[in-house]
Amino acid sequence: MPESLLLVAACLCSLSGMAWLALTMKVHWQQVRGDVAGDVPGQRLLRGLGVAGLAGSLLLCLRADHPSMAVLVWVMTLAASALTVAFVLSFRPRWLVWLAPWARD
Amino acid sequence: MLSSFRLSMTWLHTWFGLVLGYVLMVCFFFGSLSVFDREIDRWAIPETRYDPQPMPSFDTLLLPIFRSIQPREQSYARAQQRVVGPLPPREQMVANDFGAYTTHRDPVLGMFATFDVPNRPKDASVDHVHAFGSVTIDPRSGALISNDKLKIGSGFFYPLHYSLHLYWKNLGYWIVGLAALMMLAALVTGAIMHRKIFREFFTFRPNKQTQRSALDLHNLTGVVALPFHFFFAFTGLVIFAGIYLPVGGTMFKAQSEAHEKLEEAESGLPHEPAGIAAPLASVDAMVVEAQRRWAARGMPGEVGFLGVTHAGDANGYVSVYRAGTDRVTLTGEGIHFRASTGELLRENPPASVIGGIDDWLTGLHLQHFRHWLLRWFYVLGGLAGCVCIATGFIFFVEKRKRQHAKAGGSGIRWVDAMATTTVTGMLIATATMLVANRLLPDQLPQRGDWEQRVFWLAWFLAFLHAGWRSAPVAQARISPAWREQCYALAALCVAAPTLNWVTTGDHPLKTIAEGYWPVAGLDLVLLLAAALAATAARRLRRNERSVPVASARARAAMETVNA
Repeated sequence: MPESLLLVAACLCSLSGMAWLALTMKVHWQQVRGDVAGDVPGQRLLRGLGVAGLAGSLLLCLRADHPSMAVLVWVMTLAASALTVAFVLSFRPRWLVWLAPWARD
Repeated sequence: MLSSFRLSMTWLHTWFGLVLGYVLMVCFFFGSLSVFDREIDRWAIPETRYDPQPMPSFDTLLLPIFRSIQPREQSYARAQQRVVGPLPPREQMVANDFGAYTTHRDPVLGMFATFDVPNRPKDASVDHVHAFGSVTIDPRSGALISNDKLKIGSGFFYPLHYSLHLYWKNLGYWIVGLAALMMLAALVTGAIMHRKIFREFFTFRPNKQTQRSALDLHNLTGVVALPFHFFFAFTGLVIFAGIYLPVGGTMFKAQSEAHEKLEEAESGLPHEPAGIAAPLASVDAMVVEAQRRWAARGMPGEVGFLGVTHAGDANGYVSVYRAGTDRVTLTGEGIHFRASTGELLRENPPASVIGGIDDWLTGLHLQHFRHWLLRWFYVLGGLAGCVCIATGFIFFVEKRKRQHAKAGGSGIRWVDAMATTTVTGMLIATATMLVANRLLPDQLPQRGDWEQRVFWLAWFLAFLHAGWRSAPVAQARISPAWREQCYALAALCVAAPTLNWVTTGDHPLKTIAEGYWPVAGLDLVLLLAAALAATAARRLRRNERSVPVASARARAAMETVNA
């Protein structure tokens, strides 16, 4: 796979990873559902997916670049993803529903 | 104990953050622009809008130009002050060292020459005094690009972010160093003050009160980009460690000199000229040999730096460094040849562990690599730092302005005016400089100096405006200066790309169609900035109108509670 595609994939992985980690938190789960519900169902699954997303992103960065550079790229994808997730939660929280379809009902 | 510890951390964070925040804002913002300094140069000097070029032939193109370089007037005058007796005339001085430097983003080539001054230095502890000269050329033809044309990105914004252009006794470096040190302290104290780092990791509530929203944004941009903030403040200090801790010239002077001698003996590269004239062999042949050796090591590459030390002397040598595009570290795999014969003198060995870490840390900050995504991420990190500092100012003012209004003090008004000056005022100065770049006559002598004057004047006017309009802050309202400066910024950010179009014919549709991103990118960023500034101005207007109502409601609520 060409380097640019690997990097796009790394960004997507880390973005969804951060979004899943945000969804494990009650306040953000409620934002995404758009109501005040109880506990977060599937919290452990969400946490697992989140960690897997971030780890996958690191692996993809390592595939794309020399390790000394890949580490920098990965840390910055985390920052960019966290910022993006925070802003989506502030302005368009429903966009994250498709990452946890069971939140829809 | 914990409470008082936390309070003392809060005090440190608040006051040092406020005072040095004004400096840090400049470092972060102009540092962010420096990520694309070469691209800004292209925008500012339209005759250099062509593709990056490899290092041209030394023998046919560069050597005659090197021989014609003269010391710069300022450098010549400074050298004259430091030595006994009159210097040889400027046009008769012969350069001893040459250097040419390019990167994968440079269509132009920077060439430097160092001149040994034969006179005895006034200061007995100084060995030699040198004068310096430099030119920029179009490497395709060898044509000179006037030094009157300021490279706004690499020649103004970039040095501004680490020196503030205050060169008297290196004052700017020291202020920036102190600010970077306090940035590290602010990150630590901030993490201690912030009780909900993980619980509020993704939290931004734009519809709460300004004070709350500003704090959310301050925490968000501070925490998610924490590694970036930490590493850039830290590596900035590492890069200038030699200025801040000049132990090599003071405490360990003897060891430092012994090390220099040892290095000379080990490397076989003569530190001093022999004083015997010698011809210069073909440097192009040495470049070919250097590239062959890199390729043999599995790292083929272009030449980034080409230098001749002790030119024309029997001890002269040629150094060829690889352009570091595929690694973070700035090693360059230097290969050195005897200038008179072309015989190989030395290949730089791989860096030691400590040296390697140092190279990685400085390379991380100086970013000579070819990685567009990481470049944009750096801009994002830098701008996140700016947002963090700006929201810190806003939080400071919002938290105090009601109390100050009650007490009748006006200190908060000046904090707010300074914040306006450093946030919107700085952006206005930047955009005004770009506008001036397109409006000043093309052949104006010392054109670059005029651009710099316009920059500082615009910033000063923004300060006066912010001070003049900030009276409402003392009554716990919003200063209209924020909104007015946002409108001014929006207008300037539209004017700059428009003037670029009018004066050069390069409009965004054309540059995008041609894929000429240095100019297309800056134009698009300016237009985006204009849209953001206009949106911010509109929202500020809405807030200015609603604030008296809100505070009346708050007062009513407070009275109810009190009753």
